[in-house]
Amino acid sequence: MSSTTQLAPGVAINLPKRRRSRRHLAHRAALNATAAVVLVVMLFPVYWMVSTAFKPGKDILTLTPTWLPSAPTLANFTDAINRPFFWSDVKNSLIIVSTVVAMSLVLAFLAALALAKFRFYGRSAFIVMIIGVQMVPLNALIIPLYILLSGAHQVDKLSGVIITYLTFVLPFAVWTLRGFVLGVPKELEEAAMVDGCTRFGAFLRILVPLVAPGLVATSIFAFIQAWNEYLIAYVMLNSPEKQTLTVWLASFTTVRGTEWGPLMAGATLTALPVVVFFLFVQRRVAFGLTAGAVRG
Amino acid sequence: MTRGAAGADLLTAPNGSGLAAPLARRRPAFRRRVVRAAAPYALLTPAAVVITGVLAYPLYKLVRLSFQKYGLFELVRHKGEDIRFANYTHILHDSLFWHVVARTVLFAAVNVGLTIVLGTLIALLLERLGRTMRVLLTTGLVCVWAIPVVVSVAVFQWMVDFQFGVVNWLLTQLHIVDYQHHNWFTNPWQGFAVITALIVWGAIPFVAITIYAGLAQLPRELVEAAEVDGANAWRVFWNITLPVLKPIFVILISLSIIWDFQVFIQVWLMLGTTPSEDYYLMSVYSFVESFKISEYGLGSAIAVVMVLIMLSVTFVYVRQMVRIGEAD
Amino acid sequence: MRYLTAAALALALAIAAPTASGRTNAADAPTATSATTLRVWLMTDANGWMDVVNAANATFKAQHSGVDVKVEIQTWGDHLTKFDAALAGNNAPDVVEFGNTELAKYMAAGALADLTRYKAGFPNSKTWLQGLADAGTYRGKFYGVPYYAGARGVFYRKDFYKAAGITSLPTSLDAFSKDMAKLMKKYGKDSNFSALYFPGQYWYAAMSFVYDYGGAIARFKKGKWVGTLDSSLSQKALTRLKALVRASSRADRTGKEDTQDEVFAQGHVASLIGNGWEWGVITDPKTGNPALDAQLGAYPMPSHIKGKVMPTFLGGSNLAVPVTASDKQLAVDWIKAFTSTSSMRQLASGAGVIANTTVLANVNASKPKLAPFARAAARSWFVPNSPNWVQVENAKVLQNMLVAIFTGRKSIPAATKSASKQITSILNS
Repeated sequence: MSSTTQLAPGVAINLPKRRRSRRHLAHRAALNATAAVVLVVMLFPVYWMVSTAFKPGKDILTLTPTWLPSAPTLANFTDAINRPFFWSDVKNSLIIVSTVVAMSLVLAFLAALALAKFRFYGRSAFIVMIIGVQMVPLNALIIPLYILLSGAHQVDKLSGVIITYLTFVLPFAVWTLRGFVLGVPKELEEAAMVDGCTRFGAFLRILVPLVAPGLVATSIFAFIQAWNEYLIAYVMLNSPEKQTLTVWLASFTTVRGTEWGPLMAGATLTALPVVVFFLFVQRRVAFGLTAGAVRG
Repeated sequence: MTRGAAGADLLTAPNGSGLAAPLARRRPAFRRRVVRAAAPYALLTPAAVVITGVLAYPLYKLVRLSFQKYGLFELVRHKGEDIRFANYTHILHDSLFWHVVARTVLFAAVNVGLTIVLGTLIALLLERLGRTMRVLLTTGLVCVWAIPVVVSVAVFQWMVDFQFGVVNWLLTQLHIVDYQHHNWFTNPWQGFAVITALIVWGAIPFVAITIYAGLAQLPRELVEAAEVDGANAWRVFWNITLPVLKPIFVILISLSIIWDFQVFIQVWLMLGTTPSEDYYLMSVYSFVESFKISEYGLGSAIAVVMVLIMLSVTFVYVRQMVRIGEAD
Repeated sequence: MRYLTAAALALALAIAAPTASGRTNAADAPTATSATTLRVWLMTDANGWMDVVNAANATFKAQHSGVDVKVEIQTWGDHLTKFDAALAGNNAPDVVEFGNTELAKYMAAGALADLTRYKAGFPNSKTWLQGLADAGTYRGKFYGVPYYAGARGVFYRKDFYKAAGITSLPTSLDAFSKDMAKLMKKYGKDSNFSALYFPGQYWYAAMSFVYDYGGAIARFKKGKWVGTLDSSLSQKALTRLKALVRASSRADRTGKEDTQDEVFAQGHVASLIGNGWEWGVITDPKTGNPALDAQLGAYPMPSHIKGKVMPTFLGGSNLAVPVTASDKQLAVDWIKAFTSTSSMRQLASGAGVIANTTVLANVNASKPKLAPFARAAARSWFVPNSPNWVQVENAKVLQNMLVAIFTGRKSIPAATKSASKQITSILNS
């Protein structure tokens, strides 16, 4: 395996294979071992959740840990799926999340461009507003938000929830994308324009691909925020067919306590779309060593 | 098709055909200036409209409520009683409040520190891994990120449960301490250790992935040049990586401060929705006042004070952030 | 960008798939709009007895054909926050289910409609369970219709009891203590074993002792609430309880009772105090151990007075009408349909909860799994009916007091004195 290095734009050379010295191999092994340890530690709670989803009741809370279900069962999953309104809740969550992700990416990217590329009157004010808005705790705003949405007839409507989520995702998204846009050196774009690109062309061919990792990271963040949000979805939506998956998860707790097995099964199901979404977009998060850009 | 290759295509295009185009266009200079001046406002408007449209009234109402006595009685009648600064003086004279503030600041500091440090280490690790391992680790991180909070709290609760805790069992088996029937939450320090572990665990994926995305923009040549010059990993990080990634770090640290300052749901659920005063963080205190005791006026005042404190704590960063990018 | 498009496509497909596959619940179909809609908020527990809800809706529909009923299920976590928001936004429903300890605050704030003049018209209103009826009454006016109740009794392992030599179930507290001692003697070597699993914060069970001995949490005297946990009777009860817990329980002295059924299912517990529905939790394959069903039994907790049962906390729910409801008569009619005798009978026999009337006590009396709890409900106690009671619960006054007592951190006189002081000041604030 040879590595391609860019010494200058357009000039790439192939370096000869690095000799696999013992030290290099040991280094590699050590890195992989560290990664494995990190993976195990981080994933332990996830493993615990997923294995519980397959456990029969008596294996769930045991005095000595049960690492694997003694008699793996799908009963928890069937119980979860057969709860009323599961599929409509899935649909609602997907609608809300995809709209929020799409709209927030577009709106935030435009705003980030404005903040990063232009100097204009009101820029600092807008920045301070964006940061300040993120400092207000949501719980304190719930009742006034409800009053506002109720006045606009947006209670019990997915659109009301979408617009509220947008409001909470946008400041962060604008903020992060601004950082990524700033991270792309102006020289690259200018060089492209000297070579004959229109400003828009430079934007499309230089800036967007380089900011792509930021777009992806932001979209994942927006996805997760919207997917897992509970309080607003619960308070603003009334009709049972309009609820989201997070509210559905909360319904596993009754006055009789919580049904842990089905809850973990439900949670596993709820976490799946996020992972799927990520797997689709992960290639865009610079996984290559050849993604270098020259800085003057 | 890699990004680098795309750039190469563009930049090595023959000069002749490209250069003619912009010079050939004859736009009136004035119109172009106007378009340029209006551009940022046009780009900004949609986002600004959404944010202010939704939050303007609630924020105004929040501040207004903080100056009123507004309990359940007033809520039913939609009319609060104006008591001016009484809520604020009540808060500022409440010793519990100051303990809560101190606790929140300490808690946020520890969480932010751990999250950023560990997240950066993992991002650096990601950068050096081979493809398969890297995808594995990132997917694992996203799995962690994807779990709903309700569930991760339950899992952590079980892990340290008095009877069933796997962590208790492990610690006892390894003869580190005998935690066989140990309640982690009787001692607030231990309880907060569990909560911190939960929050840092949940926050690391985002920080690691974002920093990794930033590292991708870092030119390899700089690093390789430094390594050729004999710098070790630490010097490379400190002298090259860090300065280049500074904007991203500033963003992440300030965001982490804001988020960790507002931690609510983890404490709330971990303590079974009835936390004792030893576990109050500012957002918990505000929520309890508003919804459990139904004193919305007081709860709003606490929230306002919280925002002011956060603004002052992050003031330095905010100023930095406003300044970043101003030099160009 | 290719991948983002692919992701978007995938999402679109995912949205289309479930609706296309036809695998939607019958209940997913949108309800037809009609001239008026009656909105009802019930808690998630109603999912367990949807047939009763549907039957009530049908009865109501027959009476009022132009009115559509929309039942919205709420979750215990934040339903009061949602209700507060709905009140503020003029969007409150017409009928709301409240936990019986949640009503006082709303009654005092004037958020609920005064139903006093409809009271006599509700089915079985003369034979309602006193605890539930009291919870729905404030300053002489009636606001909350009793819905269903739960009473606590003692769950026990028949095999453990038999092996320890207990031949008949105890009918007095003394006999109970002796039985616990026998169990600990036989099985106590297992460090996980409890003859009676009693976590320290379990105030519902603990206060039963206090009321049994004639004490109380607080009494309303001369227009003021006075905390009475430091009275001699209350202290006597707590002393008795402390000795019992110290001798028979290995549960967390600082912990809650949330997972007690799962602990029981693990097989190292001989008895615990629990609600009737916990039978299901212990033996359901999803939450516990079905194999225990054969060995599981229940009996009411005996009083210190021989032959009587210890008063049990009557948990449960009431149905109320927010003051903003546009047509109170409609709401009342729906409640009447839902709490009719036949409805309650279905609820009691199907879901195993205690119906709101003593008339139906015999429904449960014939079932071995429910009879002990119905008998236990014969003597009940309820929390002080003050709108500030919620704050006492939030401040965890009782839990902290019990934990201090059980762990020995405070003596009983000291712990009860400070708790009573706190209760007095909170209830009167």
